[in-house]
Amino acid sequence: MPRAKIYGYLAIIVSLAAAFAFLYFGFYDTIIGRPIPSSASYYAIAIPIGVVTLAVLVTGFWIGWTILTIQVVKPMPEIVEKKDYAKAKAFLLCLATLALAALFAYGLYLQSFWALAVPAAVITLVILGMVFWVGIAIITTRNTLPADKNS
Amino acid sequence: MRALFLCYRGNPFCGGQGIYLYHLTRELAALGVEIDVIVGPPYPDPLEGWADVYKTENLNIWSIRTRHFGPDKLQRVLSPWNFVDYFLTRMHVFGEMETFSGRAFFKLRDLLRTRRYDIIHDVQCLGWGLVPMRGYGIPIVTTVHHPLTRDREADFTHDKSFWELMTTVLFYPLTMQRFVINRLDRVITSSTEGAEELGRAFGVRRDRISVVYNGMDVEMFRNDGSEREPDTLLFVGNTEDHKKGLIYLFEAMTLLPERITLTIVDEGPPVRTSAFNMIKRFGIEDRVRFTGKVSLDRLVNLYSSKAVLVMSSLYEGFGLPAAEAMACETPVVVTAVGSLPEVVAHNETGLIVPPENPRALADAIMMVLKDKKLQRSMGKKGRMRTVENFAWPVAAQNTLAVYEDVIRAYRRAS
Repeated sequence: MPRAKIYGYLAIIVSLAAAFAFLYFGFYDTIIGRPIPSSASYYAIAIPIGVVTLAVLVTGFWIGWTILTIQVVKPMPEIVEKKDYAKAKAFLLCLATLALAALFAYGLYLQSFWALAVPAAVITLVILGMVFWVGIAIITTRNTLPADKNS
Repeated sequence: MRALFLCYRGNPFCGGQGIYLYHLTRELAALGVEIDVIVGPPYPDPLEGWADVYKTENLNIWSIRTRHFGPDKLQRVLSPWNFVDYFLTRMHVFGEMETFSGRAFFKLRDLLRTRRYDIIHDVQCLGWGLVPMRGYGIPIVTTVHHPLTRDREADFTHDKSFWELMTTVLFYPLTMQRFVINRLDRVITSSTEGAEELGRAFGVRRDRISVVYNGMDVEMFRNDGSEREPDTLLFVGNTEDHKKGLIYLFEAMTLLPERITLTIVDEGPPVRTSAFNMIKRFGIEDRVRFTGKVSLDRLVNLYSSKAVLVMSSLYEGFGLPAAEAMACETPVVVTAVGSLPEVVAHNETGLIVPPENPRALADAIMMVLKDKKLQRSMGKKGRMRTVENFAWPVAAQNTLAVYEDVIRAYRRAS
């Protein structure tokens, strides 16, 4: 098997195994009653996850805020009337990110397991999903010319 | 003096940064500066004659779907920096500047084991990696022709949906650039207007900005002796760039006599359709022609044979086509935006009109077209102006003066 395909299969296997391990040990184990760790242990995990989560939420808020406050000189004459309700959607994005940030902060205050688990799951699964997708692309991409049917 | 250039895209045939890198390093080397270059793809193959080139990797996967990467890129995407780039591009972030500056930071660490530099010259990257790079104890200058805020604003004027607006916000790394530019030792920009713009966009203090006019190859761009075709206009530039204000030029065409034609040096349909759609709407298809991509010789020939170069821009960082046309003794009609009023001398080498005003554009074009004597006089003065102000040797001398000033100030402070 060509080396490229091996990398592809490895990417798929590693990402699937890591996703399974993450979901099993991170969620299933906890659901069946494993105790929440001590306060220091909790915040050791909470701080890095919190930084990344808040960075994502702040980025979302910033996107919404930028769209809400765009002051474009004047729409180009060739642009037809914008009908996408972009400002309303931007407002909703700001609202949603603020609400999620507040919920997340409240969860941290309560030392909730889920306040860490949900964002960690989203971040981890997005990255593993990308590795998985690269693996799929590698093994399904033709890297040699098709065989000549006449020969 | 030994200078290290950082350029995330280095090929002179792929854009302004590559052209700037190629000519400026060559002229600086001629002035005795030893040049090293850390550069990303597409690479500047011909630099080796006067500079040591260190290439960094980049997959250039922006706007390419994963399944279309091809086997080579797919294998390489799983390495750490490439995966960061992959992650960012999938999130609609243009990550090339971030990853290039990171790679350059580590590359420089390796180079400093055997080399010493007096100055680092970043070419329009302003990536995060420049901030820790200051820890190497070498002054860093950057060249920024215009802040990306202008490009983003131009994109906003065309974005129709929330999704388009959101991806535009994500695409431009303005937060990074604002943070980094204010931590470098000097910013070089190509016009006084550009300096003001940098202040407005990124809050850069005026005393930390040096204006060095862009250079151009005045030997290559000189009149080739072709006969001038009467009643012909020329536009050179990216027709997909909304900052070019092409709609105003097309509207001006409708106000001009039918015999006047326009040649556009860029791809037309089916490759690029925005301009052609506007042309159809104005009903001037018979009077406008696209050349597609042309060789430098052909470009010089077009500059030399068309009667007037027109730029209807809403903003210009420098306005290179105006300078190139002037070098070929062609009068220009341009809008009073960005640095164009500094490049073009009003009533001397061309005419400057207000932007977004098709009537003023048409009147100015007619004034030049109907007066052959004025055309010749403007052409001669244009050539003289470009040779004195915009030749690469002049740009290199002025850049070297900035280097010396920055190094002096840096050593005094440390």
